[in-house]
Amino acid sequence: MQIQILYTMNKILAIISILLLTGCSIGGEKKIKIFSVEQPREKLNYEMPTPLQMQEIFWHIITSENAEEVFKKLEEAGIDPVLFGITDKDFQVLARNFAQIRQKLQETNNLLQEYKKYYEGENNGKM
Amino acid sequence: MILGKIKMLITVLMIAGVAGASLYVMKLRSDNAILKANQTKLETAITEQNKVLEQQKKDFSAILESNKKLNQLVTTFKKDLQDLDKRFTKKNRDIGKLALQRTKSIERIVNKGGKNAARCIELASGAEHTEEELKATLKSQINPECPALANPNFVHYE
Repeated sequence: MQIQILYTMNKILAIISILLLTGCSIGGEKKIKIFSVEQPREKLNYEMPTPLQMQEIFWHIITSENAEEVFKKLEEAGIDPVLFGITDKDFQVLARNFAQIRQKLQETNNLLQEYKKYYEGENNGKM
Repeated sequence: MILGKIKMLITVLMIAGVAGASLYVMKLRSDNAILKANQTKLETAITEQNKVLEQQKKDFSAILESNKKLNQLVTTFKKDLQDLDKRFTKKNRDIGKLALQRTKSIERIVNKGGKNAARCIELASGAEHTEEELKATLKSQINPECPALANPNFVHYE
């Protein structure tokens, strides 16, 4: 009789121990989730500078031979017969100076675009 | 009597053993949870570091690309200036003497050059290319004052 009770107790103990060992694992452990949300810096979003619109100018070439004719034509057209002149050498210098100004403008604009592209992404680098 | 005591002792020992084992398992589970949390943190850190490295790689290549572009631009500038000088002095050309001999032609050429130069300034300040400028591939079609800027599809040839 006592042995019977002991067997029964052992069975109960075995079931209890199995439940104790496995009970908490039902449904599995909850996973820990770590979030890190980075808030990006606001974009400056300046509009690119408005392109220049150059006005056309007319160059008069005056020599000792055609000077009178040029001034006469100016008078006929109702323009003051006065011209602001430069020599052929100075014209070359002027052309060079303008080329350099244009290059500097282009360089600065390109730098601005590159900075915009680098810090704000491809889509904003467009002019 | 003695048998009864032995049975009781065995039962107590068994209960204590089961309780001990349970506590040990619980401790193991708690340790496991901590280790899992650590593992998750490490994996997150590694992922973030990989992202940073990837971004750095992208940044370096963007910087290299940008430098290359700007260097190319500076080379183009030098060439444009050389071409401009050449136009004035090619084969001992003297534009003053030429203007004396062929006043009207030189006036026309100078005005055309002025117009082209003005267009170059507009483009340098960010103006859009016209279709004509984009399509130009021949020397007769390009803006000779700044071909690299005005006519991106023109390939220089002699």
